Amino acid sequence: MTMFLIKKADVGKIAQELGREYQVYGPMIEKGSGQTFFDRAEDVAEINLSAPIPSNPPKSVVFPQMERILSYEYDRTKNTVKMEPDYEVTPKALVGLRPCDLAGMLCLDRFFMGQEFVDEVYLNHRKKMFIVTNTCVTPFKQCFCVCTDSGPAAGEGYDLNLTDLGKEYLVEVGSEKGAALAAKLSLAPANDSHLALKKEKVDQSIAMFEDIAVDSKAWVSRVMNRVTTGFVKDDVWEYIGDQCFECGACTFVCPSCSCFNIADVNNTDCAGCADRLRTWDSCSYEGYSRMAGGHNPRKPVEDRRNKRFFCKLSYSQMKKYLRPGCVGCGRCAWVCPGDIGLPNVVTYVRREITG
Amino acid sequence: MSQVLNIQNGKIVTIPEIATIEEIRDEIREVKTFYLSIDNKDIWNNFKYRSGQFVMCTIFGAGEFAVSLPPSPENDRFHITVRTVGRVTSALHALKPGDKVGLRGPFGNGFPFEEFKGKNLVYVAGGIGLIPLRSSIVHALQHKKDFGRVLMLHGARTPDDLMYKENLKEWQSFEGFETYITVDVPTPDWKGETGFVHTLFDKANLPVENTVAFVCGPPVMFNTVIGELMKRGLSDENIYSTLERHMKCGVGKCQHCAVGRTLVCTDGPVYTYRQIKTLGEEI
Repeated sequence: MTMFLIKKADVGKIAQELGREYQVYGPMIEKGSGQTFFDRAEDVAEINLSAPIPSNPPKSVVFPQMERILSYEYDRTKNTVKMEPDYEVTPKALVGLRPCDLAGMLCLDRFFMGQEFVDEVYLNHRKKMFIVTNTCVTPFKQCFCVCTDSGPAAGEGYDLNLTDLGKEYLVEVGSEKGAALAAKLSLAPANDSHLALKKEKVDQSIAMFEDIAVDSKAWVSRVMNRVTTGFVKDDVWEYIGDQCFECGACTFVCPSCSCFNIADVNNTDCAGCADRLRTWDSCSYEGYSRMAGGHNPRKPVEDRRNKRFFCKLSYSQMKKYLRPGCVGCGRCAWVCPGDIGLPNVVTYVRREITG
Repeated sequence: MSQVLNIQNGKIVTIPEIATIEEIRDEIREVKTFYLSIDNKDIWNNFKYRSGQFVMCTIFGAGEFAVSLPPSPENDRFHITVRTVGRVTSALHALKPGDKVGLRGPFGNGFPFEEFKGKNLVYVAGGIGLIPLRSSIVHALQHKKDFGRVLMLHGARTPDDLMYKENLKEWQSFEGFETYITVDVPTPDWKGETGFVHTLFDKANLPVENTVAFVCGPPVMFNTVIGELMKRGLSDENIYSTLERHMKCGVGKCQHCAVGRTLVCTDGPVYTYRQIKTLGEEI
């Protein structure tokens, strides 16, 4: 593997260089709230590699919350239809992606592009993308990626991977695109001693995880087994369902949740003009599976909650993602107004096992 | 955008193809049949589907809905039969011949007809449950010699609710095709059978050995019929049905049609009752 070093003071040059060719996205601290958001950087200098984990995953870059996938114009008197697929194809670079968020994006990649049908809209966003990941040398309070095999260091899927070694960053190259960028920046080469230092940093990081991660570690796989085989009692799902506010927040902040709705909306630009919009949807909403005519096979909230945790924790979903659907970012636990973030659901199912 | 990807595995995936309504026929109250053809002749000539598959139909300015395909895959005029249940289907019913709609598909697995060779086929349809079974029935009649006995039992609420009346007449006189028709609520001039559809099983001398049954209808009818078939000794793997779900994409991405660990659009809509039992969800 090719490795380089870059001085801390120079690390901004990576985003700067990418800014020539790409729209650059990265973690930035919002001045008013002090919260970190992963967003488009108008000024690449604002990207903060030591910022805490962003409140939002980078999902919206490849899978926008609302997106026009088609526009058409129909004329009922002349019986004509003109259709125009409408995909944005600006190349984008993600700088400072956390390993959990990268794992989430790999889930989406495999889900949208790796099955029988390729999702062309997603493909268009994804094919011209540059990814720079950032190893988590300090975990955050809600993190549990050590339980879901997605951190604290990224293993695959990046073009460049950065690791904070103290005075400098280790730059690992993961693709030809990455190698080309490293060459352009004429970085100093790194050696095995730096790799050993990275391992030390990662080990330190793992040792710093909060109890929730350490306690749950051995249990996630047991719970996955239970959820897959259906050996979770109905009253556990009901207990979980009772705490669901049906707000959809967990699905929107989840790096791997990708359910969407499609609606044709008349466009006021001209008579007979309409846009087909694809928007995020959430399995927690009552209307999610309601059919025309009103029949809803999944009316009780626990049936719908059950579905989300099935997506995150079952082997049959793993076959689509080639890894667990949960990436351990902990955002669902952060936003849930009830108390059913994923780590807690693991705890509830675990309680059933241990009695 | 590349044109190549829009057609994947012979299916129209992303951008609907424009189709013209050639003719509209009234079936029963709130149900009409629309005869369609895709405008692009190359695509139309290559538009092949299997019994039991479905298409996504766009009504411009209203939206898109999933609808089963009632015509046989061969030598049958292409059409869809739709009941007004919501906004988009009502918009379709307001259209007239010559109007344009959009089509994507065909999607779904369809009936595994190669496995049915030499077997008796029993079709049990309640009300508009006959629509998704029509394709398979016509296909079976076109290849009657490949199968043993072929029976159809169709029940409706009233004589006016019997589906595909013209076809029913035709089918009743089709040699070797056993048809049984019943209504729940007869009208004064109704001379046929009265009662729920499973009450005809004895009269039909229902075969059990080497038999495949297809059941489609409202949930109440579905459960009763399946119970009766199982009681008579038909195994759950020989009972087929097609499920209906809210769908947006048709290609396994939007996940609205998830049932148990499967998606109705790609793993279904045709399931055996053995599979349905393992889904662990309401039908």
